[in-house]
Amino acid sequence: MHIPDGFIPLAQCAIYYVILIIALYFSGKWARKNLDEKRIPLLAVLAAGIFAIMSMNMPIPFGTSGHMVGGALVAIVFMAPEAAVLVFTAVLLIQALFFGDGGITALGANVLNMAIVGGFVGLYTFKGLQGVIGKYPSAFIAAWLATLIAAVVAAIEMFIAGTFPLDVGVASMALYHAFIGIIEGVLTVIVLYALEKFRPDLLAWNRE
Amino acid sequence: MAVRFRIIGDNMSIEQVTTLEAISSGNSVIHNLEGRVKLISILLIIVFAVFSDRLIVPLVLETFLLVVMYLADLSFKESFKRILLLLPFGGFVIAFQPFIHPGTIIWQSSISWIHITDTGLNWTILLFSRLLVSLTAIVILSSTSPMQEVVQSFRKLGMPRDLAMILTIMVRFLFIFVDELRSIRQSQRSRNFDIHNKNISYKWRVKQVGYSIAMMFLKAYEKGENIYLSMASRCFSEDSRLYHAKTVLEKPEFVYIGIIIVLIISLELVVLFFSHNLGYFGLSLSL
Repeated sequence: MHIPDGFIPLAQCAIYYVILIIALYFSGKWARKNLDEKRIPLLAVLAAGIFAIMSMNMPIPFGTSGHMVGGALVAIVFMAPEAAVLVFTAVLLIQALFFGDGGITALGANVLNMAIVGGFVGLYTFKGLQGVIGKYPSAFIAAWLATLIAAVVAAIEMFIAGTFPLDVGVASMALYHAFIGIIEGVLTVIVLYALEKFRPDLLAWNRE
Repeated sequence: MAVRFRIIGDNMSIEQVTTLEAISSGNSVIHNLEGRVKLISILLIIVFAVFSDRLIVPLVLETFLLVVMYLADLSFKESFKRILLLLPFGGFVIAFQPFIHPGTIIWQSSISWIHITDTGLNWTILLFSRLLVSLTAIVILSSTSPMQEVVQSFRKLGMPRDLAMILTIMVRFLFIFVDELRSIRQSQRSRNFDIHNKNISYKWRVKQVGYSIAMMFLKAYEKGENIYLSMASRCFSEDSRLYHAKTVLEKPEFVYIGIIIVLIISLELVVLFFSHNLGYFGLSLSL
């Protein structure tokens, strides 16, 4: 899902950067209002932790390996997709600059997929379902759907860039991520369950 | 869950963090350049490589980057090994390109819908050359500039305070989490846990990874709170600024960035006025 440099034309990269700047502006406002001066150390150290989590590879079928993204997880923990935007912008920038995971020019597109789309889809699916089917099943579906939709958005971006046909791109990305999204869902539930058990005060749903 | 197409699997980037920090603290003409200059020059090269659709551009830029690599005293073998490890993801998408774009068919398989077109092949070559230049540039930047230097360069270049401070503190704590993760892995290994062991049920392995992630997340959150408390006890407030040493740009920095700007302008002029003399290297390869 990390789109590399060269796959998206510069003009389109600029549009994604504008989206990123707008998202960062609103996320910054949210952080100032909700986390006060605590926001910087808290989000920074959390970003370092998420970076480490994203480095934990695990085998997935089809001979590849995968890692957790956590866009939905961060959004659900804080009950705000803005937290995911701030954390993932930092993580994806470091990944792009030092590890070649995703491109510098494609940073805006990558943040859009994994943090903005992942965070929003994850949180609002969770909010919509938790009253109906309960917290953990809805967290599972939210993380699964966030992975799926983020992958589909990445495929659409590649189509707009002219790199991949829409039908083949969306079908293959959706099919594959519908499967590995299950693992993201399971991992999200395990983390939320552990947080609820050991530090329920950290979960924003307990404060609302 | 995001897919990672890697030749070797386990926590590659986490192991690279410490290795990179050691390499980037080296001593060479390139290492000694000011951080802002290294960052801007690499960004200029990547942006220009992505902008141009003529093969001459990535070809010249890659040659230039190889010279920089030599001046930085970096091991070509190790650098290209890193690039090779990063290629598979982009390479996977590129591998489909010759077959999926309309154009004149230049190769036809026995299966009617599997064929290679000239447009698809040209686009493949262009994408690959862009990717190669970008990855080479990233390998050079990360091998010649410690993370903290790059992050401070962003701050000096005017990155908004909040984001710049988040990056600065994040980079500082990255190494603690590298150690944490290493300890988790070590203790798992000491109990004969192997994540790739197919004799253990997949469900159980996912559960163990989930516990490790939960622990990391919890530790990160709690550490973030502790860091805030220790910063607050040292008078950290809304208006606090993190210290960064002032650096002055000197002659080598101006020469280096000057060479890159001249190179880019010259290449663009060559493409504009002499591309017809360059044969295939001067052709527009975009779709």
